[in-house]
Amino acid sequence: MTDRPAPSFGEGNLRGVGMSHYLPMPIVEIGDGTAALPTTRGQFSAPAHVLDSEGRLETGMLASLTDSIGGMTSGLACLPDWIVTTNLGLRRSPDAIEGARGTGDLTIDTQVMRRGRSSVVTRSTVSDSAGHEIATSLITCAVLTPAGGPPPFTRPVTMNHYELNEDPLYRLPPEQFFSLEGGSHPGEMLLHPAIHLRNPWGILHGGSVAHLLDTAARCVVADRIEPGPTPGIIVSDLVIHFMNPGREGPILAEASVVGRKGRDVLVRVTARDQGADGRLMNAAAMTVRML
Amino acid sequence: MRLLAMESEQFENGDVRGWLPVTPMFTGPDGGPRIGAIGMLVDALGGMRSITAAAPEWAFTADMSLHLLPTGPIERLQADIRVLRRGRRTLVLEAELSADGDRPAGLALLTFAVVPRPDHLVNIVIDTSPGRRTMSRLEGDQEPPADYHRELGFIEESTGIVMVELRPEVGNTVGALHGGVHTALIDEAAASLGRTLLGPTATTTDIHLAFMELGFTGPMRAEATLLGHPDPAADRVGAVVQVLDGNDRVCSYATVGVSAR
Repeated sequence: MTDRPAPSFGEGNLRGVGMSHYLPMPIVEIGDGTAALPTTRGQFSAPAHVLDSEGRLETGMLASLTDSIGGMTSGLACLPDWIVTTNLGLRRSPDAIEGARGTGDLTIDTQVMRRGRSSVVTRSTVSDSAGHEIATSLITCAVLTPAGGPPPFTRPVTMNHYELNEDPLYRLPPEQFFSLEGGSHPGEMLLHPAIHLRNPWGILHGGSVAHLLDTAARCVVADRIEPGPTPGIIVSDLVIHFMNPGREGPILAEASVVGRKGRDVLVRVTARDQGADGRLMNAAAMTVRML
Repeated sequence: MRLLAMESEQFENGDVRGWLPVTPMFTGPDGGPRIGAIGMLVDALGGMRSITAAAPEWAFTADMSLHLLPTGPIERLQADIRVLRRGRRTLVLEAELSADGDRPAGLALLTFAVVPRPDHLVNIVIDTSPGRRTMSRLEGDQEPPADYHRELGFIEESTGIVMVELRPEVGNTVGALHGGVHTALIDEAAASLGRTLLGPTATTTDIHLAFMELGFTGPMRAEATLLGHPDPAADRVGAVVQVLDGNDRVCSYATVGVSAR
């Protein structure tokens, strides 16, 4: 392991929007923006360099998309307060983890299922371009009053309708964009929290963490140290608990195999902020399928 | 829950270990305990652990995930519960599951919402001193029932739909459907759907569950719908299961994995 310097790219105005340039997903709010329990739709245009050899998005990055739209939709239900994700679950449809189904562009429909006094629950349904349901995600957020107030919105919301960003940062393969580095053994993985991996409040984006944890889980099953594609190995479901924010870095993920059930491997993963006295950020359970 | 005859032990640091004696009344096709019964154990032990962790406040289960490994026939399922984080408003617990004390049997993660102690519990003193306790037991010479879910009153209305009347036996301390019964109901509805698609060995292997509302109005019913499309060659399916009360209000929501073992 090395404590390599933070990447120099992504300074200034890329803070807080880096993830939405890498995983482009314009979002629209359905209706006139007055619904107490909002619904939204995201259209993910899949850049080839983030997909696997079959054209499928890895589960951690899919969770990143549902975290983005689920968090935003939860936040709309809480205005003028805002939210922080506390728990994210995602399950891929077994018929869409290999072959043509579930590849390419994706549509994510999100609805707020419950808005309580202190928490919000949203459900996202992910469909491929043929309209097949390929995954479902459940997100719980805690309601809070953020410093500086919530993001500014005009209802009904339309967001992330960017022009294609030509910065080469957004053409990097995932392990480079997410600034990952293999640890001392399979299942140990480091993330260096570059500015483009942070949210507008300067905290490591939940989607960055999801990709880190997914990569650590796949790598422990594949028995490899370095991050990167693991052909034939995919996370089929995950549950991630967000307990503390990642601020300092590097973030150390540690994945361990709990046991096996046929072609499925149950993996436990944690992430700790090494720069914050090893503070526990996340705990996750994942099923990794060997295709 | 009394029928499960569970035991627990609380340690000096507040952590909790518990045991579920495995009997045929809640085993699945492979002879191992079904996830519904394990959910009962984890929910109960998590509740115990939350008392000291949340004190002087109170805590309610907000969500739970359970991932099981196949155990085959075993005598006892053990769960070791520990606190991962006690925040201002949430408490996160982890449960390691083991079969007969030595083989990994799965993993559970739970979130509790930390709230001011409800009025009806302000003067309640709960014994959380270290030591081993019987959490529930059969009465006298009572024989264990043949089928736990049937004993709870579960009725399979049609494929993937299971209902239960809201009786005291399936209620919690405030009269709503018990959190553990939610898990068992979801298990039964998912397995019902799975049996149709995968055959008689279909078993619920994992659950991601969010509790939404207390279910005070019966009958309660769980409705399982397939995630994605049926695949004739598949060895497993995913499902979404909602538990609704008598007013069609969603009380809990889960995604579930079902395998043919």
